[in-house]
Amino acid sequence: MSDTQTEPGAGEALVEIRNVHFARGNRTILNDLSLTIGRGKVTAIMGGSGCGKTTLLNLIGGRLRPVSGRVLVDGLSVPDLNTRDLFELRKRMGMLFQSGALLTDLDVFENVAFPIREHKHLPEPILRNVVLMKLEAVGLRGARDLMPSELSGGMARRVALARTISLEPMMVMYDEPFTGLDPISKGVIAKLIRELNTGLGITSILVSHDVADACAISDYAYLIGNGRIIGQGTPREMQQSAVEEVRQFMEGLPDGPVPYRYPAPDYLDDLLQGDNA
Amino acid sequence: MNSLRRLGQFVIDSVEGLGRATLFFLEVLSGSRKLIRRFELVVQQVFSVGVLTLLIILVAGLFVGMVLGLQGYNTLIKFGAADSLGLLVALSLVRELGPVVTALLFAGRAGSALTAEIGLMKATEQLAGMEMMAVNPIERVIAPRLVAGIIAMPLLAALFSAIGVLGGQLIGVGLLGVDSGVFWSQMQSGVSFHEDILNGVIKSMVFGVVVSWIAVFQGYESVPTSEGVSRATNRTVVYSSLAVLALDFIMTALMFK
Repeated sequence: MSDTQTEPGAGEALVEIRNVHFARGNRTILNDLSLTIGRGKVTAIMGGSGCGKTTLLNLIGGRLRPVSGRVLVDGLSVPDLNTRDLFELRKRMGMLFQSGALLTDLDVFENVAFPIREHKHLPEPILRNVVLMKLEAVGLRGARDLMPSELSGGMARRVALARTISLEPMMVMYDEPFTGLDPISKGVIAKLIRELNTGLGITSILVSHDVADACAISDYAYLIGNGRIIGQGTPREMQQSAVEEVRQFMEGLPDGPVPYRYPAPDYLDDLLQGDNA
Repeated sequence: MNSLRRLGQFVIDSVEGLGRATLFFLEVLSGSRKLIRRFELVVQQVFSVGVLTLLIILVAGLFVGMVLGLQGYNTLIKFGAADSLGLLVALSLVRELGPVVTALLFAGRAGSALTAEIGLMKATEQLAGMEMMAVNPIERVIAPRLVAGIIAMPLLAALFSAIGVLGGQLIGVGLLGVDSGVFWSQMQSGVSFHEDILNGVIKSMVFGVVVSWIAVFQGYESVPTSEGVSRATNRTVVYSSLAVLALDFIMTALMFK
C-alpha cells in the first residue's frame, strides 16, 4: 500500500485491457475501457451495481469475448486462445464467485480436492495433505467433512477460496468477496486476500462496490462508471479525488453525477394527468 | 398482420432452438468420448437416473400388466379366445406400453430431476465455477448424465415389460382361471424376437436418447433464476412426453406392417 506509487504499471503488468468494447444486444456495457493490473499487486475495481465489473472479470477469464479491443493475460491474448490453451491459462488463474459456487453434492474436502483430481494425478496421501494445507490456510481444516449446505456464508466463501488456490494460481479474481458477510467474516476474507497476496505472491483482482473494505487492502484502485474508467489511483488518491463522480462514489452521496431520480416527466404534470384521466 | 408476425417469430425461434439443441447434442457426444476413461462418473449417474426410478417403474408396470389382464380377459372371453391372454398382454407391453409408459414416467421422474439439477447448478454458478477451474462442464456434468439416461431407459423399459407380464399372469391365471401352460405357451409361440422384442428395445433406446437429450438441454439452457429453472423443468416434461408419443406413432408405423 505504498503512497508513492502512482502508475499501476509500476512493476510488470499481468493483465492488460486495451480499448475494450463490450455490448449485450444494443446495450453497451464496457466502452473503450483500458486498464492494467500489476503483477503481484492487489487491484480493486470498484463501481456501482450493474456497471460491468463482473463482465470485466468474465472477459479476463475468457468466458466472454469483447466486441473489440485487446485482453492480455500474462502476455496471451485471451479472446484469441483456442479452448485447450484457454483451459491451460485458466489452471493458472482462479476466480472466487460471489456465491462461492461450491459443488453441493460434495463435502468440503472433496470440493477443495476437485480441481486437483481433475487436473493432476496425485496419489491419495499426497492429495490429502495438499487439501488439508489449503484448508488450513483458510482456517477450516476442521470443517473438512461438512457439506456446503452446513456452512455459513463466510465459511462457504473461505472454502471456495481454498479451492481457488488449490491449483496454486498466479492470479485470483474476487467477485464481490465482501457482499452479504458480517463484519467478522469480512475481516477474515480481507485478511486472507492480503495474506495470499503477500505470502504466495498471487496477483489479486478485487471487484467490489464496498469502498472501505476494498480500499483497505488494495494497492491500486479503478472506478468504473458508464462502461469506462472514471477514476484511478492509490486508495488514498481516490479518497482525496476532486473529480465529482469519484467523490460521489467514494463518499456514498445519494445525489450527484449519478442522479438520485430515475428520469421521469415533470412531477406536477404527472400528478395533474391523473385528474384528467 | 401482427399475428402473422408472431407466427413467423415463433417458427424462427423454434427452428433456432432445434439448431441449438442439435449443436449442443453433438458437443455433448464429442465430450462423452472422454468418459471411457472415467466410467465411474456414468455409473454414479446410472444410479441416480436409473436405480432411483426403479420403484415407480416396477409399481406402474405391475399395475399396467394387471389392468391388461383384466381388460384383455373381459374382451377375449366374448370371442372364446381367453387362451390368447398371455399373447395379448406380452405384445401390448413389449411393443407399446413398455417403452412408451416407461419413457413418460422416466421423463417425469428422472428427466425433470436432471433438468432441475443442471439448472440449479447453473443458477448457483457451479457450472461457471467449473469452467473457471478449467473443467469443461459439458464433459464433466452433462455428458455422464446423457449417457446414463441412454443406458438406463432401455433397461427400465425391459423391467417394466417383464413385471407387467407377471402382473397379467397374476390376474389372468391366478384370479380369472386361464390355464397357466396355455398362458405361457401362447406367449412363447406368438411373440417374435425380431419383430416384437427387438423393435420394442429400439423404441426404448430412441426414447432414452430423446428424453435425456431434452432434459440436459433444457437444464443447460435454462434461465438461471428460480422461475427459469421451474419453467425449464416444466418444458422438459411437456416436450419429452409429446416427443415420445409422436415418435412412437412414427416408429410403430414404420416397424409393424
